[in-house]
Amino acid sequence: MRWATRAGVHIDRAACAWLIRRFLDPDAEFVFVTDRNEVPADATPFDMRGVELGHHGGDCSFETILRRYELTDPVLWRLAEIVHEADLDDARFDAPEAPGLDVVLRGLSMTGDDAHTLAVSGPVFDGLYEFHRRRLLLGREPA
Amino acid sequence: MLLSYRLPREPSGPRTTLWRRLKRLGVAQLSDGLVALPADSRTREALEWLADDVLAADGTAGLWVARPATVAQERELATGMAAARAAEYRDLAGACRAAAGTDPTDRTRTLRRLRGEWRAINRRDFFPPPEREVAAAALRQLAAVAAVETVAVSEVAP
Repeated sequence: MRWATRAGVHIDRAACAWLIRRFLDPDAEFVFVTDRNEVPADATPFDMRGVELGHHGGDCSFETILRRYELTDPVLWRLAEIVHEADLDDARFDAPEAPGLDVVLRGLSMTGDDAHTLAVSGPVFDGLYEFHRRRLLLGREPA
Repeated sequence: MLLSYRLPREPSGPRTTLWRRLKRLGVAQLSDGLVALPADSRTREALEWLADDVLAADGTAGLWVARPATVAQERELATGMAAARAAEYRDLAGACRAAAGTDPTDRTRTLRRLRGEWRAINRRDFFPPPEREVAAAALRQLAAVAAVETVAVSEVAP
């Protein structure tokens, strides 16, 4: 399936792309556009103005996708808090990882194109997921 | 980058939320329902999502890329924004000095909170005023006092 989002990928879009590929559509193909009119007819848009999978009611797009696809994995919801704070920084959640992740993603957008940002950030989100999965299982910080 | 918006008087929830978010972004209020930020990809995106929030709350909103017609007008806008940040930095520096005299636990906790505040002000600081450096120095000083205290405590510990 094809998915479309705005070019100049930052934290929310990178996290959504990872979420889509890892939990919704392993064969996902991403298209980056500069305007909503450029979204191909067969692609599902996300993290764009006026689309279903965007910001809604104070949620970032990552949270919207979790809700829309009824992904209830508590580890994903913990990641959602981090993405939310990195993207919106509104102190809704306590996510100390957020400022660092935000800077890393902003830096990546300066050194490579969007495909590169997704390629590099994917394993970062894998690691974040695994860390928080173990933390949840252990009930404390994993080693 | 300008955001023009109109929201219904009632309910007041969306107005309050919008205003809080605009404040966090550090906008300059040009008139009722019209705010400005220097244009870049981040400010643009932030205002775009807020415009959508306004529409979702049955309001009307528009985004504009505008340029002040005179240099003087542009300067006035930048000066106003810098003055707003300067006041925030002054408050921060004052809070640092006040915290220096409190007990070590409170001081460490306050330092952590004030560092967070510093980052938040930084993010909305588009025209850094001299007060920024004053606040940074006050934070460093508070950190230094807290560090000395920590060393002293760990030395007496068994």
